[in-house]
Amino acid sequence: MKNIDPVKALDDKVERLKKDLKQLGDRIDNTQTDAAQQQLSTTNQIRDTTRKIAKTNERVTELADSVHRLERLLVALNRKVRAGETQKADFDTWPEIERSLIAKILAGQEAYARKTFTPQEAKNTRKAIAEYDRAAHEAIDAAEALTTLPPNAEALWRKKYKQWRTVTGKHRPEAPDENEHAKDTAAKSAGNEAVAQARELIRTRIEGAVAQDLLFPAWFENMLGPAAPPGKADDWLYTATDVVLYRVLHDVTSPASALGSPPQEQGHRRTLHDRLIVECADYRKA
Amino acid sequence: MAAEPFARLADRQHALRTALRALQAAGPGSPEFPALLADTDKEVEAVLHARRDVEAARLTVPNRAIAAGTAVAALVVVIGWFDGWSLLSVLLAVAVAAAVLVDPVGRNIWEPRARTGAIVAALLAVLLTPLAHGWAALAVVAGVAWWAWRTLR
Repeated sequence: MKNIDPVKALDDKVERLKKDLKQLGDRIDNTQTDAAQQQLSTTNQIRDTTRKIAKTNERVTELADSVHRLERLLVALNRKVRAGETQKADFDTWPEIERSLIAKILAGQEAYARKTFTPQEAKNTRKAIAEYDRAAHEAIDAAEALTTLPPNAEALWRKKYKQWRTVTGKHRPEAPDENEHAKDTAAKSAGNEAVAQARELIRTRIEGAVAQDLLFPAWFENMLGPAAPPGKADDWLYTATDVVLYRVLHDVTSPASALGSPPQEQGHRRTLHDRLIVECADYRKA
Repeated sequence: MAAEPFARLADRQHALRTALRALQAAGPGSPEFPALLADTDKEVEAVLHARRDVEAARLTVPNRAIAAGTAVAALVVVIGWFDGWSLLSVLLAVAVAAAVLVDPVGRNIWEPRARTGAIVAALLAVLLTPLAHGWAALAVVAGVAWWAWRTLR
């Protein structure tokens, strides 16, 4: 039904709008109340959680204290066990690894470290040597001429002097050794065999010590931890063997430090040292 | 006096010959070759210095004489053919003449003759100045450049 009177129609509309507005106000009021309630409950929850966390913190501190006490107790126990009658593993004396074996290993390492000439390099070096020898002979001839030149022949003096100077600044390259390559190969394979032999001996003794539950030396425990980390026994044994072999090869006798002072110069020993440090740090963490 | 540098040069040459004998006997491949080479190098240097001394003894007087001649000629040219542009070459030549008068032979092994070259170039420049005016300075500069090249190398 349509209202004919426009004023009345407008009034009606205004009325409807007023009602709508009131409804909206009511809804906003309701929402505000809801929100306030929710905030209150959230605050309460947070307070609760904070209290719980504080409690947990206290507990953790207590636990840390007791762990510390336990640690000290363990250290003391360890000392007592070491002082007592417990059988100790000996990884310091190796009568079965002979001097000659060690010498072979070291010779092999040296052979690996030595720079070997390829045939092309050897050829180039020989060429350079021939070139140098020729220049040297020419220079000697020039110097020979200097011994007889009259003093006022300046151009000749200059020329001969220049020829002499060509050889004074140069160095004769090292001659490649024909047999060096074969010798090195032999030394390398002998070294590899010797390493395998020594590793076998060392590994057997370490395995024996583990089997009999012997007490490891202090340096060994410092470096590799009290025992093999679970699941990594083989790797651990390998590294342990290398540590002992390192001590044997390089005459490290320190009772506390497994690898002794680090080597200064680059080379096989330095590489091995650095590798062992990294690997052992992993095992101690595990 | 004049015989002494000659005798020293002959001495040095003899010593060098001895060192060379040792060097040749050793041959380039022997282990003592580098040391012998260094010794011989010292002997060669000594011979060259002895020769420089001979040259110095021989050239001191001529160099000084030419330098004095250059200075006198410069004076004559300046008075006789005065010209502002010519002053450049004459003054340069006088500077070279003064340097050679003070030290006619220098210290380096090729220097005595290099100084002779420079001072001759300066004298030539002075004599050319009436014809070439300032352009004669190029001759002086060339002489000095040659001297420096011989000395510094």
